[in-house]
Amino acid sequence: MDGIWTKKRYASRFAAVVAAIAGVLASLPAPAFAMHISEGLLPASWAVLWYVVAIPFVALGLRELQRRNEEFPYFKPLVGLVGAAVFLISCMPIPVPTAGTCSHPCGTGIAAILIGPGLTVVVASIALTLQALFLAHGGLTTLGANIVAMGVAGSYVGFGTWLIARRLGVPWIAAAFLAGLLSDWATYAMTSFELTAAFHAGSSFSAMFSLILIAFVPTQLPLGILEGILCAGALRFVRNRKPELLRMAAAGGAA
Amino acid sequence: MFDLFSDIFTYRDNALTRIDPRAKLVIALAALIAVLTAERVVLPLCVFGVCLGTVATLRIPAKLVTARLAAPLSIVAVLVVIQTFFTGTTPLFAFTVAGWHFTAKAEGLRQGALLGARVLGSVSVVFLLSVVTPAHRIFQAFRWFRISRNWLEIAILMYRYIFVLMDQVADLAAAQRLRLGYTARGRAMRSFTALAGSTIIHSLEQAKRTHDAMRLRGYRGTMPFGPLPALGRRDRLITALCLIGIVSARLLEWGVSK
Repeated sequence: MDGIWTKKRYASRFAAVVAAIAGVLASLPAPAFAMHISEGLLPASWAVLWYVVAIPFVALGLRELQRRNEEFPYFKPLVGLVGAAVFLISCMPIPVPTAGTCSHPCGTGIAAILIGPGLTVVVASIALTLQALFLAHGGLTTLGANIVAMGVAGSYVGFGTWLIARRLGVPWIAAAFLAGLLSDWATYAMTSFELTAAFHAGSSFSAMFSLILIAFVPTQLPLGILEGILCAGALRFVRNRKPELLRMAAAGGAA
Repeated sequence: MFDLFSDIFTYRDNALTRIDPRAKLVIALAALIAVLTAERVVLPLCVFGVCLGTVATLRIPAKLVTARLAAPLSIVAVLVVIQTFFTGTTPLFAFTVAGWHFTAKAEGLRQGALLGARVLGSVSVVFLLSVVTPAHRIFQAFRWFRISRNWLEIAILMYRYIFVLMDQVADLAAAQRLRLGYTARGRAMRSFTALAGSTIIHSLEQAKRTHDAMRLRGYRGTMPFGPLPALGRRDRLITALCLIGIVSARLLEWGVSK
């Protein structure tokens, strides 16, 4: 700090600017823009580190895919198709009333309920690669960081919430809502953590992390709730009409 | 969405589409590393200029270029603003808006410009790669980099069926709109969840049909991948020349930085 501002005033201005920017970004008319870290944004060392963190989770997912495919030969086409569906759901714009704009769900919560968290990481890694290559959203250099945020944090938090809520006797629709909600918030929290880790430089880590989180509240708080509603609503729709398909998707797994 | 996401422009015949995708991937990765490790704005901006110039030469529609670059450009603007006003110590200029004092700092502006240039440079590299290489050939090239076969199988299936499901979702959404499904907030939410649920049902049913069709064609749990041909002499030469160019530019930039 150069002494012009006090720490408190600096913090409030930083939060205000980030909130304004979040609003501008959320209002962009491009499709499928959940919060991913852009290509080239992370320094090389951080990009490599997040790859190192992401690779074991993807490898675990691929091992699970191999195991379940030996048991159920239809499993790979099923995961591919569920992945395509979740990719499209994540491209559907949903209105965020507080921001007055449209935003996009992550889709990891519902994917984790349908095919389990390990395979959701695999599906998320492919979706993120396709988005990086063909939508200029996210990036190849930031793929590791985005897999950790959307794939790992989103799916494991979503699936964990679903599992715990069901074991506690929470009705499945409420459990699905919570899974969608928390998987979305976990993704944003993790992305904020990754950005803070790379860019906090001389300033306090916790202060900057809190500021980024607070700044994104106006869009992410309602978006998480909407993702929860989407997760519960879509699951209810499938359960009411084709419950046997859910059993097929969950072969050895979740729903 | 279809135009933005599809690889239709990669099927044109030109000098870049004729290069082996493995060579293009190696060159793109080298360019990304050079941009990411750059310490000044010149190299990333040169890469951005070269890539954008090449895209213009290939006559890629300006609408597609704008749509793809809209988000990265906005991120660049954000980065420059944040870094300029929130990092550094040497004041450049100051102004007051509604009682709030803002001071731009030289170090912040430099850092923001560098980050922004890196984003532009690397996004343009991937953009150029995506308009001269079809998706299935990129996946094919991934095999050369020892990417898991299972991952590739799922990626190929996903890419193929995104377009099939996209058509179905577009029809369903149009039908919902015609029945006034999005006229009120509550109704819109119900329509939206029904649309998502229908997409999942379609995908699960299609998975069964796809598996049956694949089995009839001899699928037994693993997609057969043919052997990759050796990299041609022309492609090796192009790769070597491009790598020499990128490494030289990076070393030159490093020398100037020191």
